[in-house]
Amino acid sequence: MFAEVSSAHATAPRSGLPLRLPLAAAMLWAVACAITVMPWLDQMGLSAFLQAFALDTVDTSDNPGYDQVMIYYSWAPRFAMAILIGLGLGLAGAVLQQVLGNPLASPTTLGVESGAQLSIAVTTLYAPALLALSPDFVAVAGGLLAAGLVVALTWKLGFSPVTVILAGLVISFFLGALNTAFLLFHGEYLGNLFIWGAGSLVQNDWSQFMELWPRVLVVGIALVLLMKPLQLLQLGAGSARSLGANVGALRLLALLLVVLMTAFVVSRVGVVAFIGLAAPVLARLLGARTLAQKLVWSALLGGGLLLLADVLAQWATGWTDGKLVPTGTATALIGGPVILLALRTMKNDRHMPGENSGPARFIPKRYPLKPILVVGGALLVAVAVLSLGWAPGLEGWRWTAPANWQDVMPWRGPRLLAAMAAGVALGLAGTIIQRLTGNVMASPEILGISSGAALAMVALTLLGADQSRSIQLLTGGAGGAAVLLLLLALSRRHQFSGHQLLLGGVAIYVFMDAGLRLVLAGGGTDAVRLLNWMAGSTWLVTGPEAISLAAITLVLAVVALMGSRALVILPLGSSSARSLGLPVSKARLLLLLLAAFLTAAATMVIGPLSFVGLMAPHLARVLGQQSAIRQLLVAALVGALLLAGADYLARVVMFPYQLPAGLLAALVGGGYFLWGMSRHGRA
Amino acid sequence: MLGVVPVGIADKSGYPVWVQEPELPDYVPNVGMRSAPSLEAIAELQPDLIVTSGQLAPAWEQLRDIAPTYVISVYDQGAQPFARARDMLLALGGILDRQEQARQALADLDQELAENRARLEAAGLTGKPVALVNFMDARHVRVNAPNGQLQAALEGLGLDNAWTEPGNFWGFSMVGLEAFGDLAGIRLVAISPVAPGLAAQLEQSPFWRYLPVVSSGEIYQVEPVWAYGGVHSVKRMARLLTEALLAGGQSNVR
Repeated sequence: MFAEVSSAHATAPRSGLPLRLPLAAAMLWAVACAITVMPWLDQMGLSAFLQAFALDTVDTSDNPGYDQVMIYYSWAPRFAMAILIGLGLGLAGAVLQQVLGNPLASPTTLGVESGAQLSIAVTTLYAPALLALSPDFVAVAGGLLAAGLVVALTWKLGFSPVTVILAGLVISFFLGALNTAFLLFHGEYLGNLFIWGAGSLVQNDWSQFMELWPRVLVVGIALVLLMKPLQLLQLGAGSARSLGANVGALRLLALLLVVLMTAFVVSRVGVVAFIGLAAPVLARLLGARTLAQKLVWSALLGGGLLLLADVLAQWATGWTDGKLVPTGTATALIGGPVILLALRTMKNDRHMPGENSGPARFIPKRYPLKPILVVGGALLVAVAVLSLGWAPGLEGWRWTAPANWQDVMPWRGPRLLAAMAAGVALGLAGTIIQRLTGNVMASPEILGISSGAALAMVALTLLGADQSRSIQLLTGGAGGAAVLLLLLALSRRHQFSGHQLLLGGVAIYVFMDAGLRLVLAGGGTDAVRLLNWMAGSTWLVTGPEAISLAAITLVLAVVALMGSRALVILPLGSSSARSLGLPVSKARLLLLLLAAFLTAAATMVIGPLSFVGLMAPHLARVLGQQSAIRQLLVAALVGALLLAGADYLARVVMFPYQLPAGLLAALVGGGYFLWGMSRHGRA
Repeated sequence: MLGVVPVGIADKSGYPVWVQEPELPDYVPNVGMRSAPSLEAIAELQPDLIVTSGQLAPAWEQLRDIAPTYVISVYDQGAQPFARARDMLLALGGILDRQEQARQALADLDQELAENRARLEAAGLTGKPVALVNFMDARHVRVNAPNGQLQAALEGLGLDNAWTEPGNFWGFSMVGLEAFGDLAGIRLVAISPVAPGLAAQLEQSPFWRYLPVVSSGEIYQVEPVWAYGGVHSVKRMARLLTEALLAGGQSNVR
C-alpha cells in the first residue's frame, strides 16, 4: 500500500537500535524538563521546590506560600498528566499505525476525538447530570460511536487501510460540523467547552491524574500483550492469516483498545491531536524498525513531545498577556511540521489512495447526458423560485408573487446566486481533483485549499482588524494560494502526485483547526463570528459580490471545460500521457491551480466546511456521467443545486435565526457520503 | 435609558440571562443572532433607525439600505470604552431627538456612582482592590481588565481594579485561577450566571481553597451584568457591587 511499509518487509527488519533514537528521546525529555522546572528553581531554590511535595493536603490553616501550592496542585499534576497522556497517545498511535499498516494513521483520523468532543458538547447542553456522573462514560461512548461508525462502514472492505482513514476523516469532519452547529447556538454557555475542546492540560489537583493513570496503565498493558500477534501483521495480512492469526478480530481488538485509551484522555483534557500521529512517525524516522522498538520509542517520544508542547503552550500564554493558549494548539504546532517531514521522506508510488478500495471500482451504469441536464436544470429553477418566493416572515410563511420580487430581491437574490456559483465552483474543483488523483474520495476540503483560505481568515481575526468584505476576500484567496504553493513545493519532486497532495492537505487541515481552536479559547465575540464564517454563512453576500463571484466562476468553468482533455489523459499514467504529447507536469500544475482558484472563490462564500466538492462529482458518477466533460457539467449542476437548496433551508428553517448554508450542506453531504460508501462496500 | 423601546432585538433569549437591565418588554420581536441577524426580518420591521456595533461592519451597507444605521463602536483598539459610551449615548440622544434624556441619564449615572461611593466610603470598604470575574469553569475566569467597560464602575466607586494588566479588545483576559495566587489583600467578585455545580467543584478544589482571597473570605457575587455593554452596564454594576460589598464576603460562589 505505502512504499514505506512494503520496503520495510522487503528488507528484513534490522533489530539493531540506531543510537540517534535514544539520544533524540533523551534530549527531548531533558530540554522539556529543564524548561519547565527551571523557572521554579530560579524563583525559590531546590529545597523549597521539594518541600512543596510535602504539602499537607487537608490542613490549609498553616497557609504555606502560594508558590508551593501552585507547584503541588497545579504544576506537578500538569507535568505528570503531560507525560502520562503523551505516553498513552504515543503508544496508541503506534499500535494503530501497525494495525492499519498506514504510517499516517492516528486516533484523530478514526474520528475518536471528534466523537468524544461532540458527545461531551451534547451532554453539557441536554444532560448535564450525566456528565457530572461520569465524563468518562460520555466521552468513551462518543468515541466508540465514531470509531464504530468507521468500522461498520469499512467492515465489508476488510479494513482496507486507506478506506479506514478516509472514512475516519469524513466522519471526523462530519462530527466536527455537528459540533460547530451546537457551538453556534450556545456559544455563550459553552465557554468551558471552547477551552476543553482545545486540549487544556491545566490541573486543579491530583484527582484527574489519579483517575487517569490506572486506566492508561491497564489499556497500555493490554496493548503490549497484543504485541506478539501484532508482530504477525507486519508480515502482511495474507501471511499472518496463513500463520493462523485471526486478522480481523485482532485488528478490531486493537482498535477498541486504542479508542478506550483516546477517549479516557479526551474526557479529561480535551482534544490533544497529533501526538498519537507525530510520535510514531518520529520514532520511525529516527530508525525504530522492530515492532517492540516502535511501541517503546513512540510512547517515550510521545511523552517528551507533549511535555514540550505543554511548556510552549504555557510560554505562549505568557506572551499573549494571559490569553489562554491550550496545549492542544501547541501540539499541532509541533505535529504539523512532523507530518510534512514524514511526507517528504515518503517515497513516491503510483498507487493512489482509494485505487485498491471498493468505491473506486464502483462503476455505475451510463446514462445519456441530456435528460439529466434537463431534469437538473428544472430542479434548479424550482429551488430558485421557491427560494425567492416562499419564505417565513415575522408573521408566518408568505408567498411573494414574481411581480413583487424586486422587494425581496436584495435579501434573497444575492445569497442564492452566490450559493449557486459556489456550488458550481466546488463541483468543478472536486471533479478536477478527483480525476487528477484518481480517487473518488478526494476533494478540495481534503486537499486543504479551503482550509488555507480559512487559516488566513483566522489570522486576520487574531490581528483584531475590523474586517470589510473585500479584505476578507483577499486574505482568504491569498491563504488558499499559499497552501497550494506549499503543497506544490512539497510535491515537486514527486511530480505532483495526488497522493502527497492529499496527505499534505490533511496536515494543513489539522493545523488550521488548531489555529481556530486558539481563537475560540481566547473567547469573545471573535469566536462566534469566526464560527459563523467557518460554518459557511451566505447571509452577507451583496448583489455586486454575487455577480462578480458568478462571473469569476463562469470564466474558470470555461477554462475547466477546455482543459477536460488533459483530465482524460492524465489518469492514464505519466508515460502514456507523455506519449500522447501532453506536458505532464505543466498540465497537472495548471489543473491544480485552476482547482485552487475555484475552491478559494467558493470558500469565500460558503466557508471551508462543505462536502459539496466531494459530493457533487460523486453524484455525477452515480448519475452515470463518466467522461470528463460530462462529469464536469453535471457536477457543476449538482453542486449549484445542493448549495442553492442548502442556502434556502438555512434561511428558513429556524427563522429569524439563520443556519450557515455550508454547515447544512456539510451535514447532508457527510451523511450522503457515508451512506454511499457503505453501499459501495457491499456492491 | 432614553425612553425608547426597540422594534426588534437580536439574541432575545440571551437578554434575561446575561443583561437583564434595562427591562425588555416581551412583545419586542427577535431578529436572529447578534453575529448574523436576519436582514429580512429587520427589513420587515421597517425601523426608523438601526443601531449596531462595529462587529457588524461587513453588514453595514445592507443595513443602511433598510434604514439609517448608527454604528456604535464603544470598543476599539486603545480607546477608553466608558468615555466612548458616554459620547455615543449623547449622540444617540441627538439622533433620536432626546438630548435631554441622554444628558439626564448620564447625570443619573454620575449621581448613582457618587452615592454608592459615599456608602462604601462610609462603611470603610474602598481600600482593598477588586477583581471582577466571569467564571468559565472551575479553573478559568474572564477577568475584567482596566481597559474594560466595568473599569468605570470601579473608578466611580473609588475602587482599584486588582487586575492591572490590559486585556483584549473587549477589555477582559482569560486566565487560570493561579493568576490570583500572588494577589493577597484583594476582593474577588463573581458576576452571575455561574455554571450549575460550580460552587461544589470549587469546594473540592484545594487550589481554590488555598487562594488567599478565598481563605480570607473575600468572595462576592453579583447578579448578571453585561460587561461588554454601554453606560447602563456601569450603572447596574455600581449598584450591585456596592450592595454585594456591603453584604460582606463569603468563601465561595453561590
